[in-house]
Amino acid sequence: MRPAILVVLLAIVAAGTWYYHLQRTTSNGETMAVYYAKLDGNSLGDLRVSLRPRQPDESVAEHRHNTVLYAAVEAVAGPPNDIKAIRFPPGTRVRSVDIDGSTATIDLSKEVEQQAGGSFGENGEFKALVYTVTGIRGINAVQVTVDGARLETLPGGHLELDQPLHRSDW
Amino acid sequence: MNWINRFIDRTGSRVALFALALGVPALALPASADAPMNAFYRGQTIAFSHVSSAPGGTAIGVDDPGFQSLLRSTGALLTWKSGERYILITTSVPTVVSFALGDRRYDVGPISLTASFAPFERGNEAYLPLNEVLHALDLAPRQDGAVMVLQPQLASLDVRQQSNRVILLARAGAPLHPRVVEQNVSAVTYAFDGVGTTLSGSRQIGAGGVSTVQIENTGAVRNPTTLVTIGLQPGTIVEAPQNNGERDVVLAFRGNAPPPQTVGEVSPTPEPAPPSENGSTAGSSSASGPALVSAVTVQPSAGGVTVAIAVTSNAVYEWHRLRDPDNRFWVDIKDAQLQGPAIDTATSTSLSTGAPSPLVSVRARQDDPTTVRIALSLVGPKSIGVTPSATGLLLEIGEDDVANAPRSGSGSIGTVLSETEPNPVPVTPAPLDNSSSEFGSTNETGWKFGPRSHYLATNPRLIVIDPGHGGSDTGAERGGLKEADITLDMARRLRDILIARGWQVKLTRNSDVDVYAANDSARDELQARVNLANNTGARLFVSIHANAYINSGPYGTTCYISKPDDVAFARIVEAHLAADGTKDDGIVKSHLYVTLHTRMPAVLVETAFLSNPGDYALLASSAWRQKVVQEIADGIGQYAREYPVSDQPAQ
Repeated sequence: MRPAILVVLLAIVAAGTWYYHLQRTTSNGETMAVYYAKLDGNSLGDLRVSLRPRQPDESVAEHRHNTVLYAAVEAVAGPPNDIKAIRFPPGTRVRSVDIDGSTATIDLSKEVEQQAGGSFGENGEFKALVYTVTGIRGINAVQVTVDGARLETLPGGHLELDQPLHRSDW
Repeated sequence: MNWINRFIDRTGSRVALFALALGVPALALPASADAPMNAFYRGQTIAFSHVSSAPGGTAIGVDDPGFQSLLRSTGALLTWKSGERYILITTSVPTVVSFALGDRRYDVGPISLTASFAPFERGNEAYLPLNEVLHALDLAPRQDGAVMVLQPQLASLDVRQQSNRVILLARAGAPLHPRVVEQNVSAVTYAFDGVGTTLSGSRQIGAGGVSTVQIENTGAVRNPTTLVTIGLQPGTIVEAPQNNGERDVVLAFRGNAPPPQTVGEVSPTPEPAPPSENGSTAGSSSASGPALVSAVTVQPSAGGVTVAIAVTSNAVYEWHRLRDPDNRFWVDIKDAQLQGPAIDTATSTSLSTGAPSPLVSVRARQDDPTTVRIALSLVGPKSIGVTPSATGLLLEIGEDDVANAPRSGSGSIGTVLSETEPNPVPVTPAPLDNSSSEFGSTNETGWKFGPRSHYLATNPRLIVIDPGHGGSDTGAERGGLKEADITLDMARRLRDILIARGWQVKLTRNSDVDVYAANDSARDELQARVNLANNTGARLFVSIHANAYINSGPYGTTCYISKPDDVAFARIVEAHLAADGTKDDGIVKSHLYVTLHTRMPAVLVETAFLSNPGDYALLASSAWRQKVVQEIADGIGQYAREYPVSDQPAQ
């Protein structure tokens, strides 16, 4: 019988340790990666930011919505100025987000249309946004809209925007 | 780049800090206010009318015109609409400050903090804790007689080492335009006008020709000036200050001594510089050595006492408090070493007022080999605010007792960067340098494609060349050069070479026109170009463009692709373009319309940047344009040889 008692004791200890770590993880909170496109025009860097835990009165769907909003705002903000990164045009804001299945629609303000003119900026900006938002569990595509309207491309732009963007597009 | 000091220490010694603390003016806003209030900010008076009292502070409505004007003036954006729980402020740093209705927790980038009260909604308007918002905007409320002044603060002054160069990165709550007020061989003093600071003090550096950094707050409350004096070693070169953004500036110095192996070896100072922190995550500093807890100081504040813990680099902390009546509190700084002997300070009376202090004693010791514990003994269940600061950690102890105070918490000190730029991209071009492996490499490892199309060209002798933009869309435009003109010129040159080599060529446009119709939609315009290639069964598609960016930094040639069939073609074209005279930025997979929707192998060549002076000169040169299209033509020829179809033209 002794080995059986030992196994039970070990199981209790293991469960206790697991619970302890779970509690610690929860209290310390989760983080997520916010990606930014580096000035080589291709590779990504990332910063980690804290994620607010779900509140008792917040549904799972609402929490996902809120997390996507936060992630999109972080991605559009970009890293601190001392980090060299491809940045959205100044003043670009996230107007709203909407989630349908695994696609997040992110509505940006008109300022995003003030592009410098080349593929470089557009490519880096949207790659960073899509990588950041699709880092959230359950989201695998990002539909970009501008001032509430779906666009084929930005004016004079190069990137196709009227279909949801995926990580695999890069 | 090595981190020397993540932060400048608040003070050189505890004695000095105690003396300094007496002169610190009252900090906090009125504990509650229902009436409208005015505040002075950088020469203007801002009226706050959507003001509400809240437990522990003043709440400001997000629709308040004064508050919105303040956000605009500080370059911040607020994201919120009724029905949303999250209220997000993007500062000019940029950093995102995340508040949520009903939750006292707020996040500043990677750091979680606790506000004095939870944001709330009233009449379809969200109200935020004003003190916390001001702090996030690097503004400090200061009293000037009866007037409240929102004084921009020098929020941080980070010191970094790059070989024998030291850079100081200053960030503040107002535009930073440093003015040299004094310069001689042994020191240079910069004045930051309009900016106050609580970072006063001095620190040894001992690298990159910089011996010391001293910070001093001068001027009036409304017109503060912060003086930063850099002590220089003989022969140090002082570089001109450069702004990253409006509110952050880089001061750089270059020593003439050989690059030090480590800072400590060069300058054994009483306060040795902390270990390098390049790119590490807070709390994982053990890879490069622990953070140092260099001072623990106590100062009176408006509502009680503040304990400032100076920590020299990124670190994780965890705090606990015992339940009343055993009112002990402690905070553990992880992966840290206490510098100097253990500290035990009794603080029986408040330093400024003589009133009984809420704090009985402060002790600091090395609790275990990797943890520094700072323990406080309190006279009752006092409120304690735990806030990471520019210099470490602040414990703000209130005079009032609180019921059911939180018993534990944790957080991190310092900016958490998983990656910093090890080699900043040069802002001036090096036209003959093709050797940069970092930027010349093509990061192909992450590419994912759908299935190959097995496209068969019905007209295998035909190449379609697409001069980007044209007509109502000029593309990028700089200094009189229009992208649409450059691309048409290059397309015609490429056509002539290819025809001479036996190819058939179609241009999507042969004049300055829209391909589909004037002022057409982007889809119609780009699809018309794609159709021309798809409908003619062309062998290859080449779209010619000129790149541009919002600043002059980026330069080089980039080949964009979208489909699996594009890869081999782009590799060969890129190889030929590698010596075109500007940098080779490699192949980038993207979601560009024309490469995505053409059925044949396609590449969109962004030949060079109109926004970069060196690249601009190349684009303006007809000889260079001829050279580039020659290289593209050579690439087309090589591709045709390596990937033959039955009736390809003889090359």
